[in-house]
Amino acid sequence: MDRLGILVAGELDRLKKYNLFTALTVVLLMWLAIAWLLDAEELKLFVPLILLMDSTMMTIVLVGATLFYEKKEHTLNSILVSPVREAEYLISKIIVGIINSLITLVALWAMVYFLKDISFNFLLVAGAIIVIAAFHTLIGIWFSYYAKNFSSLLVNFMIYVLVLAMPSVLAVLDIIGPKAARFLIVLPPEASLILLQAGFQEEKLWKIIFSFVYLVALSLAIYKFVVRPKLNEYAMRETGV
Amino acid sequence: MFKVKDLKFRYPKSDVCAVNGVDFEITDGEIFGFLGPSGAGKTTTQRLLIKLLKGYEGEVLYQGKPLTEYGDDFYQDIGVSFEMPISFSKLTALENLEFFKRLYKNTVDVEPLLKRVGLWEDRHKKAGEYSKGMKIRLNFVRALINKPKILFLDEPTNGIDPVNAQIMKDMIREFRDEGGTVFLTSHIMSDVDELCDRVAFIVNGKLQEEDTPRNLKLKYGKRIVKVEYRENGDLVTKEFSMEAIKEPEFHELLRTKDIETIHSGETTLQDIFIKVTGVALHG
Repeated sequence: MDRLGILVAGELDRLKKYNLFTALTVVLLMWLAIAWLLDAEELKLFVPLILLMDSTMMTIVLVGATLFYEKKEHTLNSILVSPVREAEYLISKIIVGIINSLITLVALWAMVYFLKDISFNFLLVAGAIIVIAAFHTLIGIWFSYYAKNFSSLLVNFMIYVLVLAMPSVLAVLDIIGPKAARFLIVLPPEASLILLQAGFQEEKLWKIIFSFVYLVALSLAIYKFVVRPKLNEYAMRETGV
Repeated sequence: MFKVKDLKFRYPKSDVCAVNGVDFEITDGEIFGFLGPSGAGKTTTQRLLIKLLKGYEGEVLYQGKPLTEYGDDFYQDIGVSFEMPISFSKLTALENLEFFKRLYKNTVDVEPLLKRVGLWEDRHKKAGEYSKGMKIRLNFVRALINKPKILFLDEPTNGIDPVNAQIMKDMIREFRDEGGTVFLTSHIMSDVDELCDRVAFIVNGKLQEEDTPRNLKLKYGKRIVKVEYRENGDLVTKEFSMEAIKEPEFHELLRTKDIETIHSGETTLQDIFIKVTGVALHG
């Protein structure tokens, strides 16, 4: 197994040992229970929202929790003085974030397909999940760099939701007019929702392409200019240097 | 092995250099002690040598090649034991070691190492349930799993009971005797004296002294012999210079008096540390 594979396997093993998988499973069961109670029409609106919350909020919380443990136990230093490249370490976090979001997707798909007889464009949604989870893993790492503890990470996440997701809610409530609402696609949560909804309903092609390219470009920029260069500084700060 | 020339490093938000023009060399197969008070720059220097800190001025050569030209394979050669406990608390000691072992090309069988440091019986215990001393011993084993050429040890015996500290010191010496090189920082001067072939003192980011412990003791000690003896029930102390011990007076004293103690004026590394750094050691 190459080093990236070892890191991903190690990360998944630790999610189990640190009971984070249990927490994820509880949340997944909750999503499934809610979905079970909804009818077909409601599900087409609700499943994209579940997937959005899972691939954004849960992804940020998950990567934040793993970084929090690594900070507390100083294990990041030990990884950084091994042959692991910084890029491998960060990419392993992204892959684990994607795997967890895809598990939710598969469970929800199986549930609505076999029990509710609803189908959706699985491949398109899976592609969207990969991009959204990767982007939000990077956001989670970014927040963790500046969070003093796990609570402040959650506060950062709440600010992120309020600032970037609230305009979309205001648009739904007609508080923001249709002209201004067209520009909301530049907000990552809105672009994410557009991608997920495209698997369930008709969506303009340019919006899908724009959202996809936009989230990929933002991910690359955050990785290159923030997450990768600041990793070392974060590792040093955690040991009090 | 390492050649450091005019090394300077300043943390981004600091006005002063943490390391300010340091020169030293670590040769193959020696234990090099790097000593200094807290905040003197020794941890920063170590972190520069193990590439955890980047963006320094000056030159650091490893095996004759600039450190900056080495990729991550550099870490195949080194083992690092940090001062603070470093392990995944919910994983057992063995699981911790197995995880890190998989990241290296060359590895060792951990069983003899764990047995030697007294952790084999507790190998299936979660690292979080270990005492501080056990965690530090686990750090030490972690540093050795990749058959390193050079070991960086930060306070390796701090918080360890005397019996286990002696075992670790024996292992460090054996590592050196088998050709390994050690970069050691410690506040425990008796350990430094016992282990190090050469030591360097750093104060405010600058090297103040660098030599063998023996030469430093000669340099900072007094070239005298102090003799204590009883005369008419009273304790009498006499000092002789090294030159004077060849004289008849000294020999006569030894022959005729009831000598209780004889001491040379050799100083200790602890005293040298205080003299050189101007800081007393605590704990």
